[in-house]
Amino acid sequence: MKNSIPEYLLQASLPGPIKRKGVKITFLDKTVLNTAKAVKSIYLQAENSDTENFIRKISPNVKLLSLIYFVVVISIANNLLAQTVTSVFILTLFAAARLRISEVFRKILFLAFIFGFIVVIPASLNVITPGRIVFSVIKLNNPLHFWIYNVPQNIGVTDNGIKVVSLIFLRVLNSISCAMLIVFTTPFPSLVKAFKIIGVPDTFLMIISLAYKYIFILCRIIEETYFALKSRLCGNIKNNNIRKLIGGRIFFIYKRSHIIYEGTYLAMVSRGYSGRFNLSVGNHLTRWDIVSLFVIAAIGIAIILI
Amino acid sequence: MHIPDGYLSPQTYIPLYGLFVSAAAVAVRKVKNAVSARNIPYLGMAAAFSFIVMMFNLPVPGGTTGHAVGSAVIAILFGPWAATIAVSVALIIQTLIFGDGGITAIGANCFNMAVFMPFVAYYVFRLLSNNPAKKTRVYFAAFISGYLSLVLTAILTAAEFGIQPIIASSSDGKALYCPYDLSIAIPAMAIEHLLLFGIVEGIITATIVSYFLRNETELIYSFRKVNKNGT
Repeated sequence: MKNSIPEYLLQASLPGPIKRKGVKITFLDKTVLNTAKAVKSIYLQAENSDTENFIRKISPNVKLLSLIYFVVVISIANNLLAQTVTSVFILTLFAAARLRISEVFRKILFLAFIFGFIVVIPASLNVITPGRIVFSVIKLNNPLHFWIYNVPQNIGVTDNGIKVVSLIFLRVLNSISCAMLIVFTTPFPSLVKAFKIIGVPDTFLMIISLAYKYIFILCRIIEETYFALKSRLCGNIKNNNIRKLIGGRIFFIYKRSHIIYEGTYLAMVSRGYSGRFNLSVGNHLTRWDIVSLFVIAAIGIAIILI
Repeated sequence: MHIPDGYLSPQTYIPLYGLFVSAAAVAVRKVKNAVSARNIPYLGMAAAFSFIVMMFNLPVPGGTTGHAVGSAVIAILFGPWAATIAVSVALIIQTLIFGDGGITAIGANCFNMAVFMPFVAYYVFRLLSNNPAKKTRVYFAAFISGYLSLVLTAILTAAEFGIQPIIASSSDGKALYCPYDLSIAIPAMAIEHLLLFGIVEGIITATIVSYFLRNETELIYSFRKVNKNGT
C-alpha cells in the first residue's frame, strides 16, 4: 500500500539540545524540536485515524454530534459515580477501537493531571473547601485574618475537598478522553467538514481547512530555517540578540506565508473560485450510524440520571 | 489561559458561545467586505501565522523562555476583526488536535483570547502610537498593548472562573465547577500575569512589531489608513 504520509514527517527529528559550556542555544533546540514534534504528531495522528476500527465506520457527522452531546453530558453530570461510569465507558470504547491505549492515555493523563489535578489540588484544603478534616497538613499558632481572607489555625485536606478535586479531575479526564477518541479515529479534514451539520458556516470551515494545511507548510519552513540557523550559531549569544533573531524569523515566516497565500488564491481562481463556495457533506446515515446514535443517547441519559 | 473542560458551568459557557459566535459572524462579514474574494486564503494564512506565533519560544529576563498568546501581535499586524477569526481558528485547531483548552470552553476561550484581547491590544496600540516614524514610541506601545491586553484578559478569565462557586454549587455548598471564588481567582491570575506572563507577552509583541517596523512598515495594519468599514 502506498504510504500517504509525506516523507518529511517520517524523517527523524533533529538532534536534541547540545549542552556545551558557554553555548546558550537551547532555546533554539526547544523551539525547533517542539515545532517539529507538534507537526509530526498532528499529521501522524490524522493518518493513524485511517486504521480500520469499528469507530471509524461511524460517519464523522455522527461522531461529532456524539462528541458534543457527550462533552455536555460530562459537564452536567455532577456526581462521582456518574463520572466514574463515564470513564469506564470511554475506556471500553478506546479498547474496542483498538487504539494504542498506553500511548494515547499518556497524553490524556498528562493533560488531565495538569488541568484537572495540579490546578485544583489546593481546593482540597479547608481554606477553600470547608468540611471535616481528613488529614492535617499544617497547624498555625493562631488563625490568620487579613483583608477578606481567613486562614484557620488547622489547615488540612477535607472530605468535601477530596470530592471536589475528584469530580473536577474525572470531568477533565473524561472530556479530554472523549475528544481524543474522536480525533484519533477521524481524519481532521472530515471532522472539520462535519461541523457544517451544527451550523458552522462554510466560510469558517474553509478557513480552518486552509489554516490546517498552511500550518504544515509553515512548520516545515520553520524547521529548515532553524536548522540552517543552528548550524551557523556558535559561542554565547545575548538574549537581546536572540530576540532579534526570532523576530526576524517570524517576519520571514510572515513573508513566506504571504507568498503561499497569494499562490493559493491564484490557484483557487484558476479553478473557478469567485469568492463563493459550498462544502458538500454527505448526510447519508447507515444502520450502524443510527444504532450508534441511539446507544450514545441512551448512555448519556443514563449517566445524567445516575 | 486556555480554559479546559470541567471548569465552567453551562450557565457560563453557553452565553460565551453566543457572544463568540456573534463576534465571529461580524468579523467574517467585515473582513469579507475588506478583502473580497481573497478573504478565505488570507484568513487561512493569518490563522496559520497566529498558530505558528504561539509556538515560538523566546528567552525572557530571569533565565526562562516563554511563548506568547499572540493575539496582541496578530491584532496589530492584521487588524482586530481579522485577528478575531485568525486567533479563534488557531484556538479551535489547538483544542481539537492538542487538547489544549476544552470543547465546552471553546466559546469562552475564543471570546477571551480572540475577541476581547485583540480589541484591547489594537486600541491600546492605536492610542499610544500612530506615527511609525517615532520608533521608540512604537516599541513602547507594542509592549504596553501586549502587556495590558494579556493582563486584562487574564482578569476576565479569572472572573469567569470566580463566579462559578456563586452560580453553580451543590445544595450543600460544594463547588461543582471551578472551586476558586473571585477573591482567589482574580488575585492569583492577576498577580502572575502582572509580574510574569504579561511581561513575556509585551516583550514578544514588541520584538515582532519592531522587526516589521524596521523592514516593511506598510505590513502593519495599525499604521494603514482605516477604511470605511473600520476593518
